[in-house]
Amino acid sequence: MEHHLIMWHWPMIVYLFLAGLGAGAMAVSGIVVLWGPTGEFRHRAALIARLGAFIGPLPVIIGTGLLIYELGRPFRALNLFTSNFWFMVLNPSPMNWGSWFILLFCVVATIYALTFIPWKALLSGERGERLEARSERLRAPMATVCVPLAIAMAIYTAILLAAVPARPLWHTPVLWLLFTVSAFSTGLSAIILVQRFMFRKPGAVRGAVRREDPAFRVTEYYLVSMKVLLIIAELVVIGLFIMFAHMTINSANFAVRTLLPGGEMATAFWLGVILVGLLLPAFIEGFYLLRTAVLGHEFEWPYVINVSAPIAILFGGLMLRYVIVVGGQITGPIGI
Amino acid sequence: MTTHSTPTISRRQMLKRMGAATAGVTVVAAAPMAARAAKKQEVRYAMVIDTRRCSGCQACSIACKAEFEVPLGAVRSWVEHIEVGQYPNVERRMLPRLCNQCSEPPCVEVCPTEPKKATYKRESDGIVVVDENLCIGCAKCLEACPYDARFMNPHKGDPVKTKGNGVADKCDFCLHRISQGVQPSCVNTCQGKARIFGDLNDPTSEVAKLVDEYDTTVLLRGKKTKPSVFYIGADYLEAKKDPKADQYFRLDTHRKEPSSKRWA
Repeated sequence: MEHHLIMWHWPMIVYLFLAGLGAGAMAVSGIVVLWGPTGEFRHRAALIARLGAFIGPLPVIIGTGLLIYELGRPFRALNLFTSNFWFMVLNPSPMNWGSWFILLFCVVATIYALTFIPWKALLSGERGERLEARSERLRAPMATVCVPLAIAMAIYTAILLAAVPARPLWHTPVLWLLFTVSAFSTGLSAIILVQRFMFRKPGAVRGAVRREDPAFRVTEYYLVSMKVLLIIAELVVIGLFIMFAHMTINSANFAVRTLLPGGEMATAFWLGVILVGLLLPAFIEGFYLLRTAVLGHEFEWPYVINVSAPIAILFGGLMLRYVIVVGGQITGPIGI
Repeated sequence: MTTHSTPTISRRQMLKRMGAATAGVTVVAAAPMAARAAKKQEVRYAMVIDTRRCSGCQACSIACKAEFEVPLGAVRSWVEHIEVGQYPNVERRMLPRLCNQCSEPPCVEVCPTEPKKATYKRESDGIVVVDENLCIGCAKCLEACPYDARFMNPHKGDPVKTKGNGVADKCDFCLHRISQGVQPSCVNTCQGKARIFGDLNDPTSEVAKLVDEYDTTVLLRGKKTKPSVFYIGADYLEAKKDPKADQYFRLDTHRKEPSSKRWA
């Protein structure tokens, strides 16, 4: 019976994770462009914005590709786009609107990423300079479009699940918040992870950013603080999610038992999502943060921990999608 | 001093024109919606299942599988075995299941294909069908159906054998049989005559009479899907509406029973 027990399996799970990651990275990048620091921190901010913009579209495109792959007949996916406007208004299906939305997101995100390419370094002569100037002019307006679009994308990944009343674990008003917070935290972690690889060696220099700059360390401190705050926010939202379902007197109550101790998904949830994905990085990073904040030590830590904390958060994000997608499908409305 | 004609239009006229324009736009916008609502359904095929007459022999399940060559591990129609009551007053009840052909089907609402939904409710007789040439295989309707009446059929939908999901498949009241005036396969084969099929809008049909005569039950009334499959003698399904409802009866054969640890 496993054939229809779980219909949405790994491509769906990975898609939800990647779409959230891409949206989160792009939102962080846009926010840094719009409200980022100036002065001595500006090169550092520019690097974060650039990494976020480059990370943004790729996971979303890969994730969407996975969805199409999962259908088995890729060209049938075109049936989603042969719409006429009145039909879409009269017969709205979340997935139909969503597929147009993903298309829009991919196009805008790609344009946004293109404005971050160092044209002057790539193309010599006047052409490179012209493109560079044009990119710089486009960056802020594109970021204004991208931030709401990225947040909407993060929310949409949850809407896709939440729009079916027949799956009580998904059909809750808390799911979008959970996925959005997780999208931000995985997106930020991806940015942090990539730049930690870039500045692995002491004395590393990338463009105008040096590892030994005091600004580097301060920014790192703030980034990590933000990440820990996001982890705490995610823990709160998970608490809300469970509490909401648990205090409801019907199917949602029954469905959430799959996550609680003794349930089918309990191990994956408590070990994968809560322990490895949230508590472990929060404690490790929190320790080093507090060492700086309370004792005034320099903000520095061993490289292994430096890299493994964001990886743990990314793993936790993937596990969260796994638990929700599979848990939602093995439970249904109570009774018949 | 030059003379030029000032636009001579009073405020009243302006308001009138604006009102007319608004009304016009509203009519244009609402027209397709109204047209859809105005269509009257002549025939509404329905099934009445008298659970008192069901012995749980599963002959309907087999007849259905044979009729449609349903792949292994999937069924269009099946019979639940249910234990009702609390020890020592327990009973075993049978509950034949099939697609409820809802009047407001949640599966149709979520179907994303355009400009025609791959799964839709036939205007003429209210049967919910799947167009296997339009279905993209996203399985969204499987998630939306509160009755788990749907499954993915990998052998359908394309002349080329596919590796993917296939297309969504479900009970269609044996459309190919009833269009020839023959009873659906499960009804035809039912040993106890527990399944009765007919047109609910025709007051002389047996289903209409039975629905009139008995207090029938539909599955998951709270989901407001307005099913076209009615049950006689299944009141216990609605008896308990409290959080412990699942403890009062136990399903032996429910498809969603999370007994399998396998997930892909």
